[in-house]
Amino acid sequence: MTAPLLSVRDLRVDLKTRIGTLHAVRGISFDVARGETLCIVGESGCGKSMTSLALMDLLPRVAKRSASGLTFDGQDMMRPRVAEKLRGRRMAMIFQEPMTALNPAFTIGDQMVEAYLFHVGGSRAAAVDRAAQMLEKVGIGSARSRLGQYPHQLSGGLRQRVMIAMALMTEPELLIADEPTTALDVTIQAQILRLLKDLQRELGLAIIFITHDLGLVSRIADRVVVMYAGAVVEEGSAAEIFEAPAHPYTCALIDCIPQPGKTERGAHLGTIPGVVPSLIGRQEGCAFRDRCALSEAVCARPVPVRGHGSHHWACIREVAA
Amino acid sequence: MLIYILKRLGLALIVALTVSVIAFALLRASGDIATALAGEGATPESIAVIRQTYGLDRPIPVQYLSWLWDVARGDFGQSYFFRTDVAGLIFGKIGNTLILGAASLAIALALSIPLGVLAAIYSGSIIDRAVTMFSLMGQALPSFFLALALIMVFAINLRMFPASGADSWRNFVLPALTLGYYITPPFMRLVRAGMIDALNTDYVRTARAKGLPARRVVFKHALRNALVPVVGLVAVQLGLLMGGSVVVESIFALDGLGYLAYQSISYRDFPVLQGVVLLLSLAYVVLTLLSDIINAWLDPRLRAA
Repeated sequence: MTAPLLSVRDLRVDLKTRIGTLHAVRGISFDVARGETLCIVGESGCGKSMTSLALMDLLPRVAKRSASGLTFDGQDMMRPRVAEKLRGRRMAMIFQEPMTALNPAFTIGDQMVEAYLFHVGGSRAAAVDRAAQMLEKVGIGSARSRLGQYPHQLSGGLRQRVMIAMALMTEPELLIADEPTTALDVTIQAQILRLLKDLQRELGLAIIFITHDLGLVSRIADRVVVMYAGAVVEEGSAAEIFEAPAHPYTCALIDCIPQPGKTERGAHLGTIPGVVPSLIGRQEGCAFRDRCALSEAVCARPVPVRGHGSHHWACIREVAA
Repeated sequence: MLIYILKRLGLALIVALTVSVIAFALLRASGDIATALAGEGATPESIAVIRQTYGLDRPIPVQYLSWLWDVARGDFGQSYFFRTDVAGLIFGKIGNTLILGAASLAIALALSIPLGVLAAIYSGSIIDRAVTMFSLMGQALPSFFLALALIMVFAINLRMFPASGADSWRNFVLPALTLGYYITPPFMRLVRAGMIDALNTDYVRTARAKGLPARRVVFKHALRNALVPVVGLVAVQLGLLMGGSVVVESIFALDGLGYLAYQSISYRDFPVLQGVVLLLSLAYVVLTLLSDIINAWLDPRLRAA
């Protein structure tokens, strides 16, 4: 097995608040291989966005990250300035809100070439050529004239394409996509997903795709990490997660996906009762136990990690329910 | 962009005409002009003669149009008190006021933009609090107090700058410092608030994710957007500075427009007052137009409006 492109060990993100320290990410570990798509799934507030920002070293000032290991292609990203040098060049990121992620005051072209000129250099004309090329690659016609436009002149779908083109200007090896299609309507969403898959094949890009939408995961993921309350509750290949989900939380999430043909019209989709526990202070035992139909007294004690091969889950239960 | 400018220009013209009607009405509302001109104890006959000579017996709209025509050619009438041309009087003093206003504004911007950016980047820290204190003092100190303190230190003790007059650029240093510091706080607050907002936007996060150096993120991506409301405030403050620097102009014996306005009010010199009001209002109109155009350049979304 070759060394992973990105290796994350025991990553933690803590935020100091007035009422105590909020542990947004509680010691998670995963690897991303070159060219693969890893989906990080979970509800709002489970720490998936904090994880992505921590990887890019873009956390807000109140948040502190720590890890026993965080390497990108062998480089230790916990050392000062390493992540700073990698981001925008070898690892790029796109965000949920294409409407606000571009600066309203500058043209598309200006925003696309500035990072390229900073990281790669060369003449401005060459950078503009590359930007036009990238726009065509993400399926934007009359690319030249688009470069002179401002973000407010483009639709949400086009802006997200611009964001993708901009992120790929420097040929990064890793793209972190934080809910990139959540703000788009369904047809545009499908187009963007297909575009990402095509680009991945063409460029050998590794993608970390962060989403709350498990239905979407089934269409793109090679491997899946399921997060709950700041921790990984289950990890495995897409096939393992969808065909043999082991953790009750994963099972509950899968029940929430409507399935054409199977789910009857008018039938209630699954919901998970209860709310996510507070992330302030320590969490003993399984964080999901208050919402879990299968919980027992022993769930309040530290939970073992079980599994085999690439499939792992954190639950007292040996086999899937 | 051109269409936007033309639209704004049309709007500015309408406002300017409205202002001229008000300025005209101001003089008419101050009482019978012919009686005032004739002086105390004048006979009804001489008042009638004056009324005819000055065309005051014509219908009001006709008087307005002929007055507007005069004003358009730079003829603002005669001062009752100084017995000279109002236009000459005003344009003799407006230079001093403009220099003082521009210098104060330059000082205020040179202080408030870097300080506001600094306070925003380190918001909540000791730096932020120190900057806020410094700008609060500018607002709390009466300008006459700061003016006198500056005169004490720099004019009397150190003899670096003169305390009064308007003969060279050195005369403008102390009044410009006084006024500049006085108007710094609103600018500082606006820059700080705008920068805090801008630094928290998604596009600044995008800029950081692109791996741009912090300097570029702050001064290109954030500051450009934070400056839009500042430009509007510049227009308002410059307008205020032109008419409202009476106190500072009096203390430093800097013979400017503010001082003239103050005199014309105390001497009931209505033609002068009318000229000053008209000119200041037109200045506001021009400044607003300019700030609209600059903002359209800063923020392309405004050009469509």
